[in-house]
Amino acid sequence: MTTTPRQRLRHLAATYGVWIFMTILTLLPIWWMFVVSMRSRVELFARPNLALTRFFTENYSNVLTDSTFQRYMTNSVVVSTSNAVLVMALALLATYALSRYKLTGRDNIFFWLITNRMAPPAAFLLPLYIMFTRTFRIGDWTLYDTQIGLILLYCVFNLPFAIWLLKGVVDGIPIELDDAAMIDGAGLGGVLRHVIIPLAAPGLAVTGILSWVFAWNEYLFAANLTSVNARTITTGLAEFVTVTGTNWGELAAMSMITLIPSAIIVILAQRYIVMGLTFGAVKE
Amino acid sequence: MRDSRTGWLLLSPTLIILLVFGFAPFLYVLFVGFNQWNIFSADDGLVFNGLDNFRRLVFDDDFLHSVGLTMRFAIFAIGSQIVLGFVLAQMLTRNFPGKSLFRVIHTLPLMVAPIAVGAIWRLLVIPGFGPAPFFLDRWFDLTYQIGTYPDQALWTSVIMDVWHWTPFVTLTMLAGLTAIPKEPVEQAKVDGANRFQVFWYVTLPFLRPVLLTTVFIRIMDAIRTVDEVWMLAGGGPGTRFTGIYIWRVVFPRTDYGYGSSISIITLYLTIVLCWLLFIAISGRRKGEVE
Amino acid sequence: MKKLFTLVLLLAFVLLANMSLVTADMHDWWAEAAAPYAGTTIRGVSESTPPSNYVADVLAAQFTELTGINVEFETTSWDQMYSKAINDMEANTGIYDFVYIEQDIIYSYLAQDYLVNLTQFAADNMDLAYADYDESAFTSFADYFKNADGDLFGVPMEAFVKVYLYRKDLFENADIQAAFEAEYGYPLAPAETFEQYRDNAEFFTAYGESMDMDLWGTTVQGSTGHPASTYEFLESIGPSFGLYNWGINLETGSAQSANGGALDGETAIEALSYWTGLLPFAPPEATSSTWDEVASSFAAGRAAQGWVYGENAAWIATDESRSAVTGNVGVRLPVTAPGVIEAAEMGEGYIGYYDGGAFGVPHSSRNKEATLLWLQFIGQSSVQAEWAAAGARITHTATFDDPLIAEQDTKVDGYYTLLEEQGPLFAGAPPFPFHAQVREIIDPFVQRAILGELTAEEALSQAAAAVDEELSRLGYGM
Repeated sequence: MTTTPRQRLRHLAATYGVWIFMTILTLLPIWWMFVVSMRSRVELFARPNLALTRFFTENYSNVLTDSTFQRYMTNSVVVSTSNAVLVMALALLATYALSRYKLTGRDNIFFWLITNRMAPPAAFLLPLYIMFTRTFRIGDWTLYDTQIGLILLYCVFNLPFAIWLLKGVVDGIPIELDDAAMIDGAGLGGVLRHVIIPLAAPGLAVTGILSWVFAWNEYLFAANLTSVNARTITTGLAEFVTVTGTNWGELAAMSMITLIPSAIIVILAQRYIVMGLTFGAVKE
Repeated sequence: MRDSRTGWLLLSPTLIILLVFGFAPFLYVLFVGFNQWNIFSADDGLVFNGLDNFRRLVFDDDFLHSVGLTMRFAIFAIGSQIVLGFVLAQMLTRNFPGKSLFRVIHTLPLMVAPIAVGAIWRLLVIPGFGPAPFFLDRWFDLTYQIGTYPDQALWTSVIMDVWHWTPFVTLTMLAGLTAIPKEPVEQAKVDGANRFQVFWYVTLPFLRPVLLTTVFIRIMDAIRTVDEVWMLAGGGPGTRFTGIYIWRVVFPRTDYGYGSSISIITLYLTIVLCWLLFIAISGRRKGEVE
Repeated sequence: MKKLFTLVLLLAFVLLANMSLVTADMHDWWAEAAAPYAGTTIRGVSESTPPSNYVADVLAAQFTELTGINVEFETTSWDQMYSKAINDMEANTGIYDFVYIEQDIIYSYLAQDYLVNLTQFAADNMDLAYADYDESAFTSFADYFKNADGDLFGVPMEAFVKVYLYRKDLFENADIQAAFEAEYGYPLAPAETFEQYRDNAEFFTAYGESMDMDLWGTTVQGSTGHPASTYEFLESIGPSFGLYNWGINLETGSAQSANGGALDGETAIEALSYWTGLLPFAPPEATSSTWDEVASSFAAGRAAQGWVYGENAAWIATDESRSAVTGNVGVRLPVTAPGVIEAAEMGEGYIGYYDGGAFGVPHSSRNKEATLLWLQFIGQSSVQAEWAAAGARITHTATFDDPLIAEQDTKVDGYYTLLEEQGPLFAGAPPFPFHAQVREIIDPFVQRAILGELTAEEALSQAAAAVDEELSRLGYGM
């Protein structure tokens, strides 16, 4: 199959056409969010105008100088990072077990693990609330309103996803490599460290990143199971919706700010995301 | 095979966390689902009422309607995401200048918190300050009011979901496409297959596991969607999806018994749906091995 | 003459000295009473509104300085506030030492015995009773937080009524007045009857269109995705037509006219069809508008008249950073059907909802004493005026006469005078222990009436039947 330069040019033009169009569609809502974050409250209700009329930074300064906001931000960073690390570690161990050991009911266990992500969250809030405030209680300390509580809870929806993702990756690593390492005298830890982790690195990276993003973005549990100390940034967003007028400008400013950390991570990790997302589709 | 005890040991932290924070609440919800329990009723204790909640549910138009809406939402949203994601991923397999920039921009929506997504889209589509109704009216003379037309609210949620989650599908598809070995494709071309035949007989079978897995993950998440749609339209007619309906029953109505039974049924339906998909995926895998 | 002057001077001096003495005394009293609790932290949950933000930002700091008791505020959205407070009180967790009680939920809380009887508790702890805190200083609004014996369960912190706002610049414009009179045959004026209200709405919608302005005739709080629409119908439009207590007869436990209810009665149908009939004259966002968007639309100058919660009146009329209609806002009593005002004056009905909230102490609180001090601090007379000026809320009778408020009053076209004089015509929510439950049942029917999927009659007869079903399920019905 040969293509003439003309055909190739046409092809390239079509590619750019599609991508420029997609980029505009993708960026439009984000741009609008940015425009809103640059407007004062009274300006918002003028005739809709997609252009940036002026640099009005008060929304940002209000949000950034607010000490509550800073606390929320810290909580979000701590919770999602710890959760991502924990999920990566546990999921790696679990998938290794599921992939290499003959465990009774392996497929069923795997499927059961996945079903944990399917539960409609609303009805589960009540038992979780009771668990957080009563079951896990030592003296005055409860799991409610703590970072550790959220970190553990987020495993419920992140672990299934992570295990699924890694299962394919670990399955794809030939078992002969494990055996070779063991013959060389490596124990389980050695095999994981020297064989599995290096080969599964892209998969692990994408697991970590997506877990981080899911945890960073979670709202419902955070809103109901924290109060003051462990509140995350997404719950902070809801505070701008008030009876006397939603403060859209500050809400948009805060949304922009929360977008930045996750955007940076994704930009840095683009390569791994694609390499790691194969779900073990094809075995080499 | 190796000593299964080590295997269980490796699996145990995961199992413990999921048993405590996933399975135990599930048991609680299951238990409550068989009871009449509303804390603001005259007699506010738990009263066992057998299958009454489930009987009530079968005749609950609001619930059935919400299931129908959720299905429409999931099918339209996921369908569009798969098609769009596949086409875009296909375009990303070739190199062209600026590709990585386009890819990064395309991934951005995935990074926005659902609640912020809902807020942004509300700002886009609410008449008065949203540009969408304004320009649709001015340029195309279309009336666009998600509060007045339930269909528009549903479509807006679908489009919002497509905006938010297509990047995820594109990335998984791209990963799947890059992993396809070159030889079978070349071979098919040599054998004189046209592009559609190459796609249908070579690419698609290779892509099937990724495709099904992606669909599976998207179904799980689409069925439990709450935050975004809640912010966008509050779950009015047109967007009263099952997740939101459950929320309304459990929270403002505090009808914990009934809300729990709806959750159980919804979870059950999701599991059945996903189990079928799962069999499709693992069936394929077994076929490969043997 | 000279004697008199000396006397006045002396008197003034004594008064001043006394006052500073009182202030010093006050400091001592707080420090002393709070001594056993200094260092504790009390925590409350509230919606983020101007009055509660003032409490969180200003009053809490003052209180902490005086007493050493820390006050932590969790501000959150309207739905979240309820779910969190109710979870806490139901599970008896003790997370919150004080909770925001919106007036309409108080009966549900009382029925479940969630709240500490503040009158009783203060009487039992005389050493904690502060002299400048007096339950009788509150306006009649405090009555809606009392039980049958007159004991108080919440310290009122905000209070307002839903009023009729109109745009003075439009209503007083000579050209517009002439055009209106030419068309309708009588002079343009703020509406006093429903017919007049609709004429005004129709006129200004047409006017906005002809002038290519973003202007419509009325606001409608008609969100189809939020209980706000049900509230406007049941608490503002309904009562002004003479539909009281949501049309639910508490004695028979029914909303159907066949059993003594009125939700499917003629008055209700008339009210609902009148209200949904206003939608063509409301800005397009009306069907997505909750209370805050209604206020925002009016503030943006998109409606010529409308029903707007009073808590918004002040900022709409005065805050240039948020409102485009400052200085042009007229405030009146909402329109009513003939006879409704008279009935309200005789105490046989009400013309609208007296809304607001209070802070109460859940039984589950573990710092009740410290919280009692805190609630007295925000309930004392001396903090009221500035708080009222900052948050457009008045809960003390004396606050109406404060110069700060008198000054504000002229800027908001006599809103405070209206609140003081006509406030008693409004009433708190019906004493339902099932407030949110039944509202949720009515919601979808009101929403479908707004969408035009059901006629007013269909919507209300189905709603009444559904309400009865829920009431009997809850054990309050027949």
